[in-house]
Amino acid sequence: MNTPNQAPSATEYGGDEVSAIVLDPGFSTTRAGFAGEDTPKSLIPTYYGKYSFEGQEKLIYGDDVFVTPRPGLSIHNPIGRDGIVEDWDMAEKVWEYSFTSKLTGAKPGNPLHNGLNDVPEGELASEMEGVESEEKPLADSPLLMSESSWNPTKAREKTIEVAMEKWGTPAFYLARNGVLAAFAAGKASALVVDIGASNISVTPVHDGMILKRGVQHSPLGGDYISAQIRALFKSNSPQPITITPHYLISAKTAVEAGQPPQVKYKTFPPERAPDASYRTFLEERTLSEFKECVVQVWPGPTKLSATEPNGVPNEEMARSSPGRPFEFPDGYNQVFGVDRYRVVESLFDAKAAIQDPESLFPAPTQAQTVPEIIKAALNGVDVDIRPHLLSNVVVTGASSLLHGFTDRLNQELTQLYPGPRVRISAPGNTSERRFSSWIGGSILASLGTFHQMWISKKEFDEHGPNIVEKRCK
Amino acid sequence: MAAADVRDMLNLPAEGQPRPHKKQKVVEKRPEGITRELFALLGERAPPIAVNENRYKGRPKWLTKARAKSWRMTPFTNGARSDDLVLSHWKREPTPEDSMPTEGDQAKEEQVTTKPAEQEYGFARFNIKARVPDRYTTDEYNRHLKSDEWSREETDYLMDLVEDYDLRWVVIADRYDFQPQPVENTENSTALVPSKRYRTMEQLKARYYFVAASMLALEHPPSEMSEAEFDLHEKMIKFDAERERHRKELAALQLNRTADEVREESILLEELKRITANEQEFITERRELYSRLDAPISVGNATNYHNSQGLSHLLQTLLQADKSKKRRSLLGPEGIVPTPGGQTPINNAPGSARDSSRADTPNAGPSQPQTNKKTAAAASATNKESIQQAIRTLTPAEEARYGVQHHDRLAPGVQFRSDRAQKLTQAKSHVQTQKLASALAELEIPLRLVMPTERVVKDFEKLIHSVNLLLDARKVSEKVESEIRVLESAREERERKAREVRGQDKPEVKSEQQDDDGSEIAPAAANAAAFQANQAGEDQTEANISSTPANGPDSGGTSGAGDGVSHKRSASVLSNASDKSSKRQRK
Repeated sequence: MNTPNQAPSATEYGGDEVSAIVLDPGFSTTRAGFAGEDTPKSLIPTYYGKYSFEGQEKLIYGDDVFVTPRPGLSIHNPIGRDGIVEDWDMAEKVWEYSFTSKLTGAKPGNPLHNGLNDVPEGELASEMEGVESEEKPLADSPLLMSESSWNPTKAREKTIEVAMEKWGTPAFYLARNGVLAAFAAGKASALVVDIGASNISVTPVHDGMILKRGVQHSPLGGDYISAQIRALFKSNSPQPITITPHYLISAKTAVEAGQPPQVKYKTFPPERAPDASYRTFLEERTLSEFKECVVQVWPGPTKLSATEPNGVPNEEMARSSPGRPFEFPDGYNQVFGVDRYRVVESLFDAKAAIQDPESLFPAPTQAQTVPEIIKAALNGVDVDIRPHLLSNVVVTGASSLLHGFTDRLNQELTQLYPGPRVRISAPGNTSERRFSSWIGGSILASLGTFHQMWISKKEFDEHGPNIVEKRCK
Repeated sequence: MAAADVRDMLNLPAEGQPRPHKKQKVVEKRPEGITRELFALLGERAPPIAVNENRYKGRPKWLTKARAKSWRMTPFTNGARSDDLVLSHWKREPTPEDSMPTEGDQAKEEQVTTKPAEQEYGFARFNIKARVPDRYTTDEYNRHLKSDEWSREETDYLMDLVEDYDLRWVVIADRYDFQPQPVENTENSTALVPSKRYRTMEQLKARYYFVAASMLALEHPPSEMSEAEFDLHEKMIKFDAERERHRKELAALQLNRTADEVREESILLEELKRITANEQEFITERRELYSRLDAPISVGNATNYHNSQGLSHLLQTLLQADKSKKRRSLLGPEGIVPTPGGQTPINNAPGSARDSSRADTPNAGPSQPQTNKKTAAAASATNKESIQQAIRTLTPAEEARYGVQHHDRLAPGVQFRSDRAQKLTQAKSHVQTQKLASALAELEIPLRLVMPTERVVKDFEKLIHSVNLLLDARKVSEKVESEIRVLESAREERERKAREVRGQDKPEVKSEQQDDDGSEIAPAAANAAAFQANQAGEDQTEANISSTPANGPDSGGTSGAGDGVSHKRSASVLSNASDKSSKRQRK
């Protein structure tokens, strides 16, 4: 028996923690934390805010972005819609914030800049600043980062450059988030279905390595669903719904369902108003609340537009089920019936997409739907491992938490492949589902056997950034 | 002062019995958490409820005394790495007993830093590489490994990949992306379009196995190989890419089956399971049946059972035997056994005796099939019988269900119904048999019944009878026709002669009319006969034969072979035909 005072034998669980930091940057949020823990300590939006104050450009990161509607505040995302970094400078800053704010934050401590002290202009300042610039934020933590499976070589090389040169990490590794999600589910081979914010992707993983020819992704992620919900609101039946974020509301009174809101708006003079992107960003928050509370995936087995064998159309069935109420920030509330199924139906049936010419997203094609990209992914891999992959489908990503999503996926897959056994493994715990690639990274970076895989600073200096292609396969 | 001391002083003998002990007050400790008042209410017996105390127990005593072990962030190097990356992890410091207590910090520091160097990192031993064959030299390549399909560069690339991915073929085939180096860079790019070739996993495997096997053979000639090496060599040599490709095609087909196919397969599998499960049951049942059939044939004479005395004696012995077996007697008081589904119910004891003493081949039985008539339709008779027997009377429906039959007379031995049916199709003469067969063939009834159930055989019997009837009728009709022809020709002859002599004879005509009258009466008789034949069987043949000559001429010719599926219909056809014929004749 191990008493608290005795060291567990290292081979018992294969772990050997070297206080590595795991950084899992996504399109919507960036997760960071110490390897060996079960949830990321630091969870920040990847979006950052930019405004100018007294002629100086100011940037805000993390949850502060949501709080204050500063004049001219605009919201940006350094990562492109396809999951590849576009603005490297800002990506680096956002990622750095994700670990320096909560993980390595004890050390920096320049009292001049933390805003707690009023240090008079004097002798201290210059000295401290020199020290600060010397200090690299990750000087004594190995860093494990995740990336999407279709990340181009250039981006990978850029990542290791940032990590090694800017952050000064002694050891670095770049892992595919599909592989990590499979590890989090305890599988070395799996078909990882990741329903993210900007993308849905399917990654076949074999023995801890992705199969590149099977990697598929399509843009029908959480943001697409938001666009569908917006389209639904525009054509809503009692009256079109406009989403007014909380910051624009000064007072409201409760109204009956379907009645126009009784609300007093806050007004900003044009020169003090934040940018339109800020409003969109906050509207998105309401939408994600809507997705969590109302939106539901039609459970199947047939499409929502289809008719059951007993002759009752599925839409009728959906209509007869009790609706779900939702109250918007301005007090308007309504019960959503069949519409709550309709907004996500196009993930499975492209024809069911709600048309909206103003939407950012073009109408989806059938090849972009979840079952189709899974099919395409399976067709890209060797036939011998397909049944094994089908019995190890790992569903991850926050948008997969849509009510009834895994049930529908299961139905679709068993219809697509009636022969082999289809088994979906989706953790019921929401944080495990949202952070599964981070958790996989946490497991990987705390394994004793993994430490031979790190790319050390020395190796980087010897071989240059191209080493990432050779080592992180 | 105690009483004992007083006794001692007074020199009194000690008391026989020891002094009674002072009654000890049993004070049960009041458990904490129960108030005094509540505890006082309780009797001597402790309550059946365990009183749980949820209190923090604190650290165990033995732990509090020991000093906390110190852990230290210790740098280490990993032997599995080619560079000397130093990472650090928390490690427990060696206990003070291990190290000399007098050593200072300096020594400690030294120990910590030197330790990782001398101690192998625990996880390094998991660093295993797959065994790949030695790399060929240029000379070896040119001599043994040259191929039209594969360039040297591409082979090198393949071998590198195999090494990198530790023979994981799925990954190798996925990552395989060989870009042939343009031979001349100066050439215009439009002229040189490097055709990207996709290699299938089978091609890669075939090439690799060829190379690996060749290298293995170069290292050791096959005669000198160890067993494991030889096996490996054999396996690699025998790799058949084409077959592998075919196998994968089949695997893809198997994977992409439709739901219906899958359902069908599962049903078939289920069926197979059922069949194999039933087979065992069937075998045991058959064995039981055989063991019954193989029961020793009683050699005793059956004649002594022919009188009632003998029968009752037999019944007694049987019952005795039954009781001695300590089984619940299945026999009713009169020995009727309503065996459910049993095909040979025993009417009385001699029946069973006969059963056991039956001839062992079924062919011996049907020597007298006509006598073994089943008259199941004679319901009234059976009813009477069952009333007489005063046991559970079975309704006709139940009888049909349990397959109970009553026989007037039983032929000895076991007979097969199919044999009986077969026997029916055999007529006395060969010609007649053939005619019967052709008639049956025309009706599309197989000569040998497929499913000779009770009812089928009964119907078959009827059918054969009516076919026989028809055949006879046809024969007679042919005879009569020929007679008529002869007579008519004779008449013509006569008329011609008469014309020649110009004489007319009326008596001739009158006799003709008499014939007609006779044929008019005959059909009715024929009809009646046909119906009777349907109902009661075989006795009618004579009557029929006797009646058919009259209605013969047409019925034999027109409907002789056509009828027969239903006897009533055949009868009506017969009667219709005969009516017509009679009318025609009248005209």
